[in-house]
Amino acid sequence: MKDKIKSNYSRWLFVLPALIIVGALLIYPIFSSTYFSLTTKHLTKPSYKFVWFKNYISILSDVGFYKAFAISILWTICSLLGQIVIGFSAALALHRVKYFKGVYRILLIIPWAFPSIVIALAWKWILNGVSGFIPNLLVNMGLASGLPQFLSDGSLVFGTLIFINIWFGAPMIMVNVLSALQTIPTDQYEAAQIDGASKLQQFRHITLPHIKVVVGLLVVLRTIWVFNNFDLIYLITGGGPANATTTVPIYAYNMGWGTKLLGKSSAVTMLLLIFLLIVCTLYFKVIDRWEKEDK
Amino acid sequence: MKKRFLSGLLTAVLVASTLVGCGGQQGTKSNGSDAGSQEAKELDGEITFWHSFTQGPRLEVIQKAADNFMQENPKVKINIETFSWGDFYTKWTTGLASGNVPDMSTALPSHVVEMMDSEAIIPVDDLIDDIGRDRFAKTALSEGEKDGKCYSIPLYSHAQVMWYRKDLLEAANLEVPKTWDEFATAAKALTKDGVYGCSFPCGSNDLMATRFLNFYVRSAGGSLLTDDLKANLTSKEAIDGINFWLDIYKNCSPKDSVNYAVLDQANLYYQGKTAFDFNSGFQISGVKTNSPDLIDQISCAPLPKIKVDDPDYGAETSNIPMVVWANSKHPEICKAFMKTLYDTDTYTEFLAATPVGMLPAITGISDTEKYKSNETIQKFASEEKIIEDAVQRGTAIGFEHGPSVQAGLLTSQGIIEGMFQDIITNGTDVKTAAKAAEDKLNEIFASVQ
Repeated sequence: MKDKIKSNYSRWLFVLPALIIVGALLIYPIFSSTYFSLTTKHLTKPSYKFVWFKNYISILSDVGFYKAFAISILWTICSLLGQIVIGFSAALALHRVKYFKGVYRILLIIPWAFPSIVIALAWKWILNGVSGFIPNLLVNMGLASGLPQFLSDGSLVFGTLIFINIWFGAPMIMVNVLSALQTIPTDQYEAAQIDGASKLQQFRHITLPHIKVVVGLLVVLRTIWVFNNFDLIYLITGGGPANATTTVPIYAYNMGWGTKLLGKSSAVTMLLLIFLLIVCTLYFKVIDRWEKEDK
Repeated sequence: MKKRFLSGLLTAVLVASTLVGCGGQQGTKSNGSDAGSQEAKELDGEITFWHSFTQGPRLEVIQKAADNFMQENPKVKINIETFSWGDFYTKWTTGLASGNVPDMSTALPSHVVEMMDSEAIIPVDDLIDDIGRDRFAKTALSEGEKDGKCYSIPLYSHAQVMWYRKDLLEAANLEVPKTWDEFATAAKALTKDGVYGCSFPCGSNDLMATRFLNFYVRSAGGSLLTDDLKANLTSKEAIDGINFWLDIYKNCSPKDSVNYAVLDQANLYYQGKTAFDFNSGFQISGVKTNSPDLIDQISCAPLPKIKVDDPDYGAETSNIPMVVWANSKHPEICKAFMKTLYDTDTYTEFLAATPVGMLPAITGISDTEKYKSNETIQKFASEEKIIEDAVQRGTAIGFEHGPSVQAGLLTSQGIIEGMFQDIITNGTDVKTAAKAAEDKLNEIFASVQ
């Protein structure tokens, strides 16, 4: 009995450091944000007042918030779809490669390895509307009459950012899908071939069931990351021009660090948190069903 | 499955929590001590100095001054940390909440007002008196003044003037413009052969469009703030100014400039891709570094006027000061070190790091042989005179009504830049966009009152 109690204590002792870190990094910001979202907290002012849900009402009645929210949703869906299609295709192609597979894999993963600041500066330079390589190339090839303004034309900028995000995120999907593909036993394909299954049937009945849980989890993670993506957009366009690329995280940043209204900024992030929790719950329900089906 | 569900939720929470604001206590107040009386005692302690002199030569001079100070005061340690102005602003505003601010720092005049408002800095009147109050320009001192006390000490000054390319004007047989109409005509005429007449920058991460609009509005005798410190973007002067710069954007500017910040804008001129630009004497070192062959072709003139016989004016002067933070445990060391930066030799060496870019904030420097012997200062003597004159006439943006938090917010929120972007990108009517921006600014002003 004594030993059991001792074992219980030591168990807690081992997880204590992790609990402290999680508490400090996760629980405290959540609670402080919840609290500040109910106050007039200002970044540089020492005093503030408790205003209950006034910040939430103010944000939910701001057209700018809904616009940012719609842009965030569109940004997430388009980026995610593009990343999955490109990443998935690249993984399938790479899975078939027999020679220099490692070299190709390294080359394809390169975009993912770059820090955001490098990616942002490089694309800003490549797409610069005066001296950028791509706009000048398009003009010199006769494909455009004037220099295309990829980062300042309201009708081009969002698509350009989506393209950059797909280029950046697809390798991560590729590597994970490739790993999942490599775990599928080859004898299943051989048996299917003997039974006369077509390539499409093999893909549908062997490949897809094996990798769908991995893809599902990737989608969950990427949804959270892409929806919360801040650095890439902020560094390239700052949310402009005319808020055409202002997503909810940039809206929250401008509120907190621009106007310094931390109370309102906290309220935005709490709304963001609630939305992401709902999305994740739905995703996990789907993955859970897949797992049950597999069993 | 439950475990994974939980870990997924925790991941979502963790990622979302990275965006949330952080709170904390404000720093404790500390009274400044008398610099003179402290001098007799041996200085002992460690201080941190944040400055924004990111370019090599200026950084080196400051480091050398700190090394000399530490040699003379062996019990003192000075830690120098360097940030760009943008990073500096984020750093001190966030640092203030957690008490993570330096002992002393440089600042922009608009920052100083916010710092005073947040009770984050202490008066430096004793240091100013020690150096000689009458050696500083009254306007420069007044930018850091509250309730009769000076909270900042000017380190150097500069002002915005119009820069042009002599060779391009000569080739097109054009005179240096004196009015905005002449400027627009010349800029349009020079927009050819891969050169833009003038870039109009309105990236929302910088204050450039506010700066350009302020030039026009000030030249028309108006202001972007009313006397009772409300935003004033719907006045006739402001609407005319907005329309003027939209015309320049449409006819003479690269379309990409809708996202330009200060460096994007300056780089075009440095590389010889714009015929006109508006900047301080920092333009010289920029051109010298990037396009040395163009250095003989650049010059500056006073900002254009509405009518040629309108009185001379200065639209934007920047007196860059230093401040001592209330959190500092050793204000006496900060002040003693600051004083050494004004020693004639050190100060002249500091200014020479960006000749003509940084003009002396105190008298008795510009007439010394050492200062005058600088090659760039000799070469650009007439330009320096023009900038000096503009320094005397101008104020920081919005400071024509005296230092105010509103003036700082006018430039730091990107609202005017957003207004221009809205008109350019969405085709919003000028008056409608101006009214919306004015209302937005007034709403932000109200939040700090």
